[in-house]
Amino acid sequence: MAEDVLSPLAGKIIAVNIEQGADVEEDEEILIIEAMKMETPIYAPCDGKVAEIKVKEGDEVEEDDLLAVIE
Amino acid sequence: MRPYFEKMDPFGKELKKGEIKRTEKDVEAVASAEAEIAEAVQAVKDAGFPTEKINARGQMTVWQRLDYLVDEGTWRPLHTLYNPLDNVEGTTNVIDGIGKISGKWAVIIGFDNKVMAGAWLPGQSENILRVTDLAKRLNLPLVWVVNCSGAKLPEQEKFYANRRGAGTPFYRHTELEQLGIPILAGIYGTNPAGGGYQSISPTILFAHENCNIAVGGAGIVSGMAPKGGFDLEMAEALIDKAKTHKAAPPGTVSTHYDHTGFFRYVFEKEEEVLDGLKDYMKDMPAYNPKFFRVAEPKDPAFPVDDVDRLLPIEPKRTYNFDQILARLVDGSEHTEFRPDYGPEVYTGLCKVDGFLVACIGNRQGYLGKGYPEYADYPGIGGKLYRQGLIKMNEFVTLCGRDRIPIIWFQDTSGIDVGDIAEKAELLGLGQSLIYSIQQTDVPMMLTVLRKGSAAAHYVMGGPTANHHNAFTLGTVATEIYVMHGETAAVASYARRLVKEQAAGNDLQPVIDNMNKIAQEYHDKSRPLFCAKTGMVDEIVNLKDLRFYMQAFAGAAYQNPKSICPQHQMILPRIIKG
Repeated sequence: MAEDVLSPLAGKIIAVNIEQGADVEEDEEILIIEAMKMETPIYAPCDGKVAEIKVKEGDEVEEDDLLAVIE
Repeated sequence: MRPYFEKMDPFGKELKKGEIKRTEKDVEAVASAEAEIAEAVQAVKDAGFPTEKINARGQMTVWQRLDYLVDEGTWRPLHTLYNPLDNVEGTTNVIDGIGKISGKWAVIIGFDNKVMAGAWLPGQSENILRVTDLAKRLNLPLVWVVNCSGAKLPEQEKFYANRRGAGTPFYRHTELEQLGIPILAGIYGTNPAGGGYQSISPTILFAHENCNIAVGGAGIVSGMAPKGGFDLEMAEALIDKAKTHKAAPPGTVSTHYDHTGFFRYVFEKEEEVLDGLKDYMKDMPAYNPKFFRVAEPKDPAFPVDDVDRLLPIEPKRTYNFDQILARLVDGSEHTEFRPDYGPEVYTGLCKVDGFLVACIGNRQGYLGKGYPEYADYPGIGGKLYRQGLIKMNEFVTLCGRDRIPIIWFQDTSGIDVGDIAEKAELLGLGQSLIYSIQQTDVPMMLTVLRKGSAAAHYVMGGPTANHHNAFTLGTVATEIYVMHGETAAVASYARRLVKEQAAGNDLQPVIDNMNKIAQEYHDKSRPLFCAKTGMVDEIVNLKDLRFYMQAFAGAAYQNPKSICPQHQMILPRIIKG
């Protein structure tokens, strides 16, 4: 089963802390988006393996954009 | 009202494995920063003569006296690092805080007899005014441990006179007494001039047998003959006189116990003076806590140590405020006020040691689609918007009506700005909150968890709420300034850059100034600077925040000047609907 990680807000990706295929634990910080001068961490929604990473550092994202997929 | 308070809504959740893993660095950062604060505190404790030297004279140090006087485990120091005029001694030379004596909360203050025999130093009178304000706000007895050699003469111009100078505490003592707040004083050592008034202005005087209090000391009595200057002949005469001068200082026990009777009691041993204070504290007016408790005291359901993981020191990082609050209040239970309105602010009723308190705090992070409702840009927690300001106005006003003490938590970058925000009345609503607080006569305390900035620092119950704020705490993450340093640099130099470029000049000097101002803002907003200048009353370890909340709640309910019967409270009913 796969879980999509969506961007909660528009902003800029300033950190990607995961690699494709890596194991992650629920609530582990996987990405950071900067918006309105604040850093919003994105956490893994579940334990699993990183199936896809759709963004890289410096990317601008919109609200609800797909950021990653955890399997 | 038991159904409202005995078991309130549980909130907060246990940390998950991933959360613990990713916050290991935060725990280390907090520990390192708190060690730096502890080092500064230790330097204050070590100021002046070593303890052994004072003890060899047959005296206890102020720290030993306070340790003996205050009930174990109840001391909550305040103003430890306060030194607004950068005294070389590293202290204002008074040590103060809240603590229990004989089971009752008191505001306690003592002169540091290791430093110039407890002299008045610059900044000290302001420190004492903070202390008398605290006793007034919380309606607590003030207990002095006096041992004051008078003014540090070479720097008298910095504190002797003026509206808030060294004479004002004596008026404040009188004001407290007029309000029915007693002041007890244990008196040690030589206390001439200012020290004499420090000794005589309290309500009841407990003297050590070797102490003296006087309008002027022996040095003044023997040398009051100005001749227009000094020369070698006079210096030699002074030396002879000083060598042979054997007169006892004025105002000893034989004068002020046997003759004037100013001293109510005289004790042979240092500890006995403190025992006298303890004995009187037993009889101080105080309600039994059961009178006001709404439930049995309970520890939070989650460890308070978690706060080290939940509050990132890095100011740009968002976090979950509710998770922090759940670690600080009884049973991790609350009754939230208007949870669906003004999401950038938490407002709710909680319990601390079984006492009902109101908590208000900035939430962080993205506030969700469509908020603020009046703007086309996203809302981010830490900022205040229309709904949050209205909610705080309502909540504070209702707390005043129900006589519920308020605990504020700030981490705010300011109130929303721009013409859209002006049309949404934010300027007016901020000032309305100031009006609501001023109208609400209950004790308040504030913790600046991280950022205190712009007008939001004013409107959220901070030290500027003079008559309401009992004390303000900082943490190792605290930073307080009118705006971020880089924002200030832009505001100060943007037009200058345009002009210099238009003139074909080198921009580097302006850029250097911009970096300088940004760095200065950073340096002058750090926790140690905030404590030194009095922007906060103490920097507290995160895991000790609840200790101070317990002291605040216990003190606020010990002898309140105004009460609301629990069954006549309206706020819990409004929340229930």
